Amino acid sequence: MRKVLLLLVSCLVIGLILSPCVWSKTKIIKVGINAPLTGDIPKVGEGTKYAAQMWLEDIKSAGGLEVGGKKYPVELVIEDNESKAESAVKVNTKMITQDEVMVIVGPQASSQAIPAGEVANNYKTPMISPWSTNPDTTKNRPFVFRGCFLDPFQGPVAANFIKEEFGFTKAAVLYDVASDYPKGLAEFFKKAWEKANGAGSVVAFESFTTKDVDFSSQLTKIIKSGAEVLFTPQYYNEVALIVQQAHELGWNKPITGSDSWGSAETVELCGKDCYGLFFSTHYAAAGAKGATKAFIDRYNKKYGYVPDDVGALTWDALQIVQKAIQSYGKITGNVEKDRKGIRDALANIKEFDGITGKMTFTEDGDPIKCAVIVRISEKGEYEFYKSVCP
Amino acid sequence: MLSRRIWDSFFRVPLLGWLIGILIAVMLEHLLGDSLVDVLGLSKIPALFGFVIILKNPILMPGATLYVLLIYIIPVSAVARISSWPANKLAARLLDFPIWFSVVIHLGLFYAALHMWSEISAYRLLTLKLTLIAIMVTLSLNVVNGYMGEFSCSHPGFMALGAYAASVVTVVLFVNDRLFGPALLAPAFGPFIFPVALVTGGMVAALGALAIAIPSFRTRGDYLAIISLAFMFIIKSMIENLEVVGGPRGLSSQPDYANLPIVFFWTIACIWMTNNFVRSILGKALNAVRDDEMAANAMTVNTRRTKIIAFLFAAFWAGVAGGLFAHVLRYVNPATFGLQKLAEVLAMVYFGGLNSVYGSIVGAVSLSLLGEALRPLEIFKWIIIPLLLILVMIYRPTGLVAFKELNVRNLVKPKQ
Repeated sequence: MRKVLLLLVSCLVIGLILSPCVWSKTKIIKVGINAPLTGDIPKVGEGTKYAAQMWLEDIKSAGGLEVGGKKYPVELVIEDNESKAESAVKVNTKMITQDEVMVIVGPQASSQAIPAGEVANNYKTPMISPWSTNPDTTKNRPFVFRGCFLDPFQGPVAANFIKEEFGFTKAAVLYDVASDYPKGLAEFFKKAWEKANGAGSVVAFESFTTKDVDFSSQLTKIIKSGAEVLFTPQYYNEVALIVQQAHELGWNKPITGSDSWGSAETVELCGKDCYGLFFSTHYAAAGAKGATKAFIDRYNKKYGYVPDDVGALTWDALQIVQKAIQSYGKITGNVEKDRKGIRDALANIKEFDGITGKMTFTEDGDPIKCAVIVRISEKGEYEFYKSVCP
Repeated sequence: MLSRRIWDSFFRVPLLGWLIGILIAVMLEHLLGDSLVDVLGLSKIPALFGFVIILKNPILMPGATLYVLLIYIIPVSAVARISSWPANKLAARLLDFPIWFSVVIHLGLFYAALHMWSEISAYRLLTLKLTLIAIMVTLSLNVVNGYMGEFSCSHPGFMALGAYAASVVTVVLFVNDRLFGPALLAPAFGPFIFPVALVTGGMVAALGALAIAIPSFRTRGDYLAIISLAFMFIIKSMIENLEVVGGPRGLSSQPDYANLPIVFFWTIACIWMTNNFVRSILGKALNAVRDDEMAANAMTVNTRRTKIIAFLFAAFWAGVAGGLFAHVLRYVNPATFGLQKLAEVLAMVYFGGLNSVYGSIVGAVSLSLLGEALRPLEIFKWIIIPLLLILVMIYRPTGLVAFKELNVRNLVKPKQ
C-alpha cells in the first residue's frame, strides 16, 4: 500500500516537473471549431475539421500568425457537437469560458447555430457559421456572422435560372417537411416561382419526413401533375434516392436542386442518374481557377476526395477570421478586449476575395455574395455553368 | 490493518459531515484554485474534475490529477473525517426537530456547495443545469418503466409538449416576438409567472399522456411500447407542421428564467414528490400491478386507475423538465426530441437501476458527466458508453442501484 502510494507520488512529481509550465504563459491565438463530428451529418463535421486543419498547417508553416509585425502561435480547439442543439450550446460555452477562444467557427447546421449563436453573442465572442442559412442565426446578434448566402436569395436564384434556361412555366417541389433548411428553401422557391409564373404554377408541392426512403407516392403525384421540372432542395443521401426513383417511375424531365446537393457523396450515391442535372451552390469544384483550384487540389491530395461546399466555406470563414485578426492589428492578452476588436474588424471587412466568391458583410452579419449554378458533368464532376449575383 | 481502520472510519461520517467537507473543498477552490492552477501548469481550473484536460492533452495529466487530489479528494475526506464526531452530534440534535428541518439544512448546504462550484465557470453551470434536468426526466421515466413495469417510449414526446407549452406561455407573455407579437405583461412579472408556465407544460404533457393511457392500458404487454413510440413521432411531426411555433425551424428567444436555484428547486421537488409517490399506498399498488396484475386486481387494487395515475404523474414531470430544458437552452426545435433523446433517457434509466430513486439519480448524473467528459474522444465516445451499458446489463441486469428505497430519515441520521 505504502509502496504504491510512494510510486504514485513520485510519478506525479516527475510528471509535474516535465509538464510544460513555462510556455503556457505565452500569448496564443485560440480559434474554436464547433463541428458535428458525430451524429446525423458526420461528413459535414469531417469537411469542417479537415479544412480547419489545412488552415492551421499553413499558419504553422509560416511560423505563426503575423499580427502587427509579431508572430503568434495559433491553436485550434475542435469540439464535437454531436449535431445536437444542446451539445452545440455546451460546446460554445466551454470554448468561450474554459478554453477562452477568440473566435468561433461553426456550428454548421442552423438548428445548432441558432442556439449557439445566442451564447456567443451573450459572451461577446465573435462567431462565424460558415453554412447556416437561417436568418435567425445572425438576426439582432452583432457578434454572429455567417459565411454563406441566405435562403431568401437562393430560392429566387434557382427559380429564375430554370425560367431563363428552359422557359418552363410549371414546376413541382419535393422537400423534407421536418428539416428546416429544405422546408425554408422550398417555400422561398415557391414564392419566387409563383411571382414569375402566376399563382398555381407550382403544380405539385409534395413533402416527406426525414429518414424516409420511399418517395414513390409523392413522385407519382408529381409526374401526374404535369410539371415540367422538379426542384428538390435535399441533402445528398435523399437526392440519390429521389432522382433514381423518379427515373424508375418514368420521369425524364430536368431535376434541379440547391447547395445541399454540393457534397462529394451526391454523385457517388446517385451515379449516372444525376449526370446532366443542375443545382445552385456556393462554388464549383470542376473547372475552378486560381486559389479555389489550389484549395481543391490540396484537399483532394491530402484527404482523397474533392471537398464539398462545407469545406470551402469553412476555409473561407477561417481566412476571414485571419484577415480580421490581422487588421485588428494587436493581441493585448485581454481576451474580452481582443474579441471586441476582432468583431469590429470582421464587421468592417469589405470585398473579401474568398474561394467561394467575393463577400462583404451587411449590418446583420450576412455576406452579400454571388451564387453559382453547377452542372453535374458526364464524368460526375461539378462544372461551373453560370454565376448569379444579387 | 491500518488502512482497513481508516476505511471503516469513513463509514461513520454522516451525510452532514460529507456536505461540510464538500462545501469547504469548493471554498478552497474559490480561494486557491487560480494560484494552484498556475503552480501546476494548467491553463484554467479544470471544469469537470480534469477528465477533459487529460483526454485532450495527456501531458497535463499529473497536474490535473494533483489538482483534483489537492482541491477535492484530500480536503473532502480530511474535513469529513475530522468533523465526523461533531457532525454526528449535530445530526442527532437536528433529528430532535421535525424531519423537514434537518432536510432543509442538508439541502441548503448542498445547494451552497453546488452554487459555489458552478460559479467557477459558465460551462460547469450549464452542465449542472442539464444534469439536474436529466435527473428529472430519468426519474419520471423510472416511474413507468421501473415501478410500473411497462415499457414507455414517449418521454421525449412529453418533454417536447412541456417545452413548447411552457415556451409559448413565457414568449407570448413576456417577449416581443416575431411569431406572437408584442409582450402582454411587464417583464417584471416574469419570474413569478414562470412556475405557472412550467406547470402548464407539465399539464399539457399529462393531457397527452391521457391520450395514450386510455387506449393502451386496456391490455398488457408490448402495446404501450408501440403506442407510445408512435405518440412520440406524432408529437414530433405535429410540431414540425405547426407554423405558429416555428415548425422545424424551432422556437427561440425564451426569457432567461431558468437559473440554478429554480432548476435545483424543481429537481428537488420532483425527487421528493416521486419518492413520496412510489412509497405511498398507490406506489405499492403500482408494484403489485407490475408483479402480477391479476393478483393485484384480486386484492382490490383498481389496476387501470393506478396505471393511469402513475403514467400521468410521470408525464407531468417530463413536461416540467422539458419546460426547464427549453428555458435553459433558450431554443427548442422538434428534432431534439427524437429517437436519440429517447435512447439517452432509456440508457440513463437502465444504467442507473430500475425501481429506484437512487438509481435514477446515479444513472442521470453518471451518463451526463460521462458524455461530457468523453467528448474529446469524438466517435470513440459512442463505442465506450454503449460498451459500459452492455457491461452493466451483463453483470447487473437491473442496473447499478436497482430496487433500493430512498429513505430520507436514514440518509440524514447520525452514523455513530
